[in-house]
Amino acid sequence: MNSFDQFFTHELSESLQPLEAERKKVAQTGIVSFLLAGITIVCFIIAVTGHSTGFAIAAFISLIPVIILLVIYHNRRKGYVASFKEKIIRRIINFIDPLLEYNPRYCIHENDYTKSGLFLQEPDRYQGDDYVEGKRDETFFCFSELHTEHKVGSGKNTSWHTIFKGIFFMADFNKNFSGRTYVWSEHNPQLNFFNKLLSSFAWDLEKIKLESTEFEKRFIVYGNDQVEARYILTPSFMERMIKLQGMMGEGISFSFVNTNINVAVPVKDELFEPSVFSPSDYQKLGDYYNTVHIVFDIIDELKLNQRLWNKE
Amino acid sequence: MIFFAGIIIIIFILFAVIFLYNSLIQKRNAIDNAFFSMDVMLKKRYDLIPQLVETVKGYMHHEQQVLTRLTEMREKAMTGNLASDDKVGLDNKINEALQSIFLSFANYPELKASQNFLKLQGAINEAEEQLAASRRFYNAAVNDYHNAIEMFPSSIIASVMKLQHKTYFNIPDTAKAVPVININ
Repeated sequence: MNSFDQFFTHELSESLQPLEAERKKVAQTGIVSFLLAGITIVCFIIAVTGHSTGFAIAAFISLIPVIILLVIYHNRRKGYVASFKEKIIRRIINFIDPLLEYNPRYCIHENDYTKSGLFLQEPDRYQGDDYVEGKRDETFFCFSELHTEHKVGSGKNTSWHTIFKGIFFMADFNKNFSGRTYVWSEHNPQLNFFNKLLSSFAWDLEKIKLESTEFEKRFIVYGNDQVEARYILTPSFMERMIKLQGMMGEGISFSFVNTNINVAVPVKDELFEPSVFSPSDYQKLGDYYNTVHIVFDIIDELKLNQRLWNKE
Repeated sequence: MIFFAGIIIIIFILFAVIFLYNSLIQKRNAIDNAFFSMDVMLKKRYDLIPQLVETVKGYMHHEQQVLTRLTEMREKAMTGNLASDDKVGLDNKINEALQSIFLSFANYPELKASQNFLKLQGAINEAEEQLAASRRFYNAAVNDYHNAIEMFPSSIIASVMKLQHKTYFNIPDTAKAVPVININ
């Protein structure tokens, strides 16, 4: 973190000052809007329950400027987040590697997400942002934040359930393969009894038992080619995956499909979204820096940039 | 009533026997399948040996003896009329010879300049890892089969079928780590 210390002191803190002034203005607009909206709604409820028609109409009319104020707040907040991403996040990413490309509004394509096969349920709502792509030696990789949900019920009873929220990472794998191999955490909620039972019929997959007891305790592996799964999951690669799980958390899952490795790392918070109600300090920017580093850790830990095989 | 209960029990036992019998056959076939996939990988390796010898013989003057021995062993392995145990033994010897050649690469930095060698290096690494994977699959299939023939109640059916233990593919310590060539 020493190099980040210097980078923060000499470069980031300077760019943060004007942004901090902008943030304060947005926060003030937000506080005033929410406060006025609250007061107006309370007045309206009191008027309606007290049968005071005139007062209710007045409260209702006064809602209009409040709504306008809320729209202004929303737009200002959007503007602040966009300039924060351009001026701070982009610089952090380029500090890690100047050749990385960052697009704050783009995300991993839904096709790639679906093809990864990591999630059994099809999403009804697919959103994401903060797309980064680049190369580590010969290895192309990309990642973004994703939030996918499925809909339960309809009309007034509609509710949305998260399928995945976190970092979705894709990279060109360094070995040739043609089959499909999936590595889920042992406690993945998708792998209920019913799905495990159906795996061989519905997915054309079989469970792959590997010799590492430590790995078997943590992960469950399915694939359509027993030899190929072992070709990918060598003893040393399994050790590295265990280590990576220790670093990223239990929910990490991997798939090896279409010569790519896909990694899904669940993260609860929004990735690069600054809060307008609290200042972006050293700690927060350090967290953003560490988030980008997670991806480099995945590549380095799994040695995806080693090209010892015949894959170009 | 007792008669019907007896029939139900007999039907249950019959189904259990059929299930266990089929499961044992499936596990035995899985070993054959694994052995076959290992054979495919071995053939891939054997196909690469002449290319390897051809590419390195101009550089590796001190290893000519090993290279000749490797060619002879490869020819013997390719004849195809070896028993399984002989095949495994011969493969272990080929493995040792390859290991010694791979270790010697470090002494020949001029090999780095050869594009042919670099390409071959990738192909050999790939073949070696695929071979290691198929060996692990074979051992997993044998382990599964052993569990089935030793555990009750399938052990009873296995003894009636006279199913024998199979030999594990012995992966020598030196070969457990796949001999990845990396002279960069």
